[in-house]
Amino acid sequence: MAERGGERGGFGRGFGGRGGRGGDRGRGRRRGPRRDAEEEKWVPVTKLGRLVKDGKISKLEEVYLHSLPIKEHQIIDQILPSLKDEVMKIMPVQKQTRAGQRTRFKAFVVVGDGNGHVGLGVKCSKEVATAIRGAIILAKLSVIPVRRGYWGNKIGKPHTVPCKVTGKCGSVTVRLVPAPRGAGIVAARVPKKVLQMAGIDDVFTSSRGSTKTLGNFVKATFDCLLKTYGFLTPDFWRETRFSRSPFQEYTDMLAKPTTKAITYVEDVADIPA
Amino acid sequence: MSRGSSSNGNDNSIVKFTNMQISSHDDDDEDEEQSPVGLGFVEKPEHEWSLLRHLFPSKAGGTPAWLDPINLPSGKSCLCDICGEPLRFLLQAYAPLSDKESTFHRTLFVFICPSMSCLLQDQHEQWKRHPEKGSRSIKVFRSQLPRNNQFYSSEAPKNNGSDKPLGTSAPLCSLCVTWKGDKICSNCKKARYCSKMHQTIHWSSAHKSQCRSLEESGEDMIPKAGSNVTWPEYEIINEDESEFDMEVSNSNEDAKDLLTNYDPEFDVEMPELRKALLTDNEDEGEAKSWASFSKRIARAPDQVLRYSRHVNSEPLWPMLSGRPSKHEIPKCTSCGSNRAFEFQILPQLLYYMDVKNDSNSLDWATIVVYTCEASCDGSLAYQEEFAWVQLSSQSR
Repeated sequence: MAERGGERGGFGRGFGGRGGRGGDRGRGRRRGPRRDAEEEKWVPVTKLGRLVKDGKISKLEEVYLHSLPIKEHQIIDQILPSLKDEVMKIMPVQKQTRAGQRTRFKAFVVVGDGNGHVGLGVKCSKEVATAIRGAIILAKLSVIPVRRGYWGNKIGKPHTVPCKVTGKCGSVTVRLVPAPRGAGIVAARVPKKVLQMAGIDDVFTSSRGSTKTLGNFVKATFDCLLKTYGFLTPDFWRETRFSRSPFQEYTDMLAKPTTKAITYVEDVADIPA
Repeated sequence: MSRGSSSNGNDNSIVKFTNMQISSHDDDDEDEEQSPVGLGFVEKPEHEWSLLRHLFPSKAGGTPAWLDPINLPSGKSCLCDICGEPLRFLLQAYAPLSDKESTFHRTLFVFICPSMSCLLQDQHEQWKRHPEKGSRSIKVFRSQLPRNNQFYSSEAPKNNGSDKPLGTSAPLCSLCVTWKGDKICSNCKKARYCSKMHQTIHWSSAHKSQCRSLEESGEDMIPKAGSNVTWPEYEIINEDESEFDMEVSNSNEDAKDLLTNYDPEFDVEMPELRKALLTDNEDEGEAKSWASFSKRIARAPDQVLRYSRHVNSEPLWPMLSGRPSKHEIPKCTSCGSNRAFEFQILPQLLYYMDVKNDSNSLDWATIVVYTCEASCDGSLAYQEEFAWVQLSSQSR
């Protein structure tokens, strides 16, 4: 079959021909059985992935500042290794076919590091395990920053949402209201998990609509957290000093010394009043 | 998340986040069956002689192992048509065809200009149909030989270090060891160059000190390519994609661990499927094509080349935008037959080539090579073929 110089043309090892098995297999190149997904090194496909793999980008905020799309979940794995995930619900959904019903499983997964980053992923698949795995990947791709602020005195670390925000999905609206320290997360079981993962310590909530539909309830909470950084508060009134995106940073550093630093809002105790 | 789900209109500040995808679009039930695909992986060469031309290698980076060592491409075809610098060797694929005698040996060589600004300009050029003279920054050459030829023996090489070609090759440039060295250094008459630019670089880096001694000693210099004009050298191994179609079953344990924390009090209901509200259709299409691309390459994440020369084979496009239609692919210049998809180069190669990540460094989503369907024998030993570059949206 794979004679050297036989019917396939050429002297083995070439592309094309049936099977492509020409030539030296004994090179130890058997890659099939090695299916350990954790050990397989990640080869980045995008430029951002290459920058992260090199270690040039160490904080997710640098990616958010320039609105760079994150297309590989391994980027998040590398930047936030302490990310925890939790399955919120496995929901069987059915489609009617001539031969009966086709059931698939829809998995809702929330990931978060408990310190200002959450992600939500939804995936439907024929098997539960595949759906969960896919949902984890999608959740990592959708990680967003969450802004925290103070209820009253600006002492210590921020512990609650900076202002009243509301999010909506379907008929469910979720409203987050700043709460004093020690209040804890006053919410239903579902949004409580999401808010814990986000790293919010104290908050009052109010929800409306058919919160029984967990998909919409979770998405509404997520939408709410998305808006915390979208709300214009007086500390953002100052003019932005734009900085170079990571794709341009390094040539400039080599060209001339810059004094511009990357400015991103940090939730520290000394936010000017 | 979903712009459509919130009722108030002041979403413009967070619109950049609404483009992300939370739920999956792809239907993972369908597994389209297409023609078999051969994958290329890069590896360090086994021996230092493994990549010499008489062993018919497929390689990436370094210097090309020219199939026909005498009638090399010359003149304008060695240069980037946009900036005028000589092109850099990217990879070559040994892809013989068994149906014709003249294609017993057949290799495709890909050269690209390392500057991203040329590649951006090249995008405009590749969209032009029927250009009078194309001006590209990426060029593909095809060379083929019959089994009995004047350069190599008709017997298969033994691969034990003792094989030799039948003759010597034309002299190559001393700096890049890639192109033919037509111009000679007027002092020592030994060092050869393909272009003025390479002569200047070589003079300032190494030749200034050696020129005198070479002139007097009378021995030939053995060229070694400068590392600032070539990429790191690898061998390309090919495997079939179907060997990677195995079930990933060991991750089931992680899924089960997660399920133990899951609280089954949330009742098992059966609502109708709610589609996640998305932003605009363009992003949905892009997300969908990226998702199916990632899924396909996840079988073998370190692949760099996908080869599929069959009647209905289609390249695997990472992005939705920037795909050519049938009319954008020009016909073969020597025989006039159509060009068909042969292989594509994936962006993982950039990682292996240690391409820097600054603003003028190369970045592509995929490079697709279309070759003459008949694999014709023209008058030139190295026929030019057509390459299509698809850039990722942030590079544009």
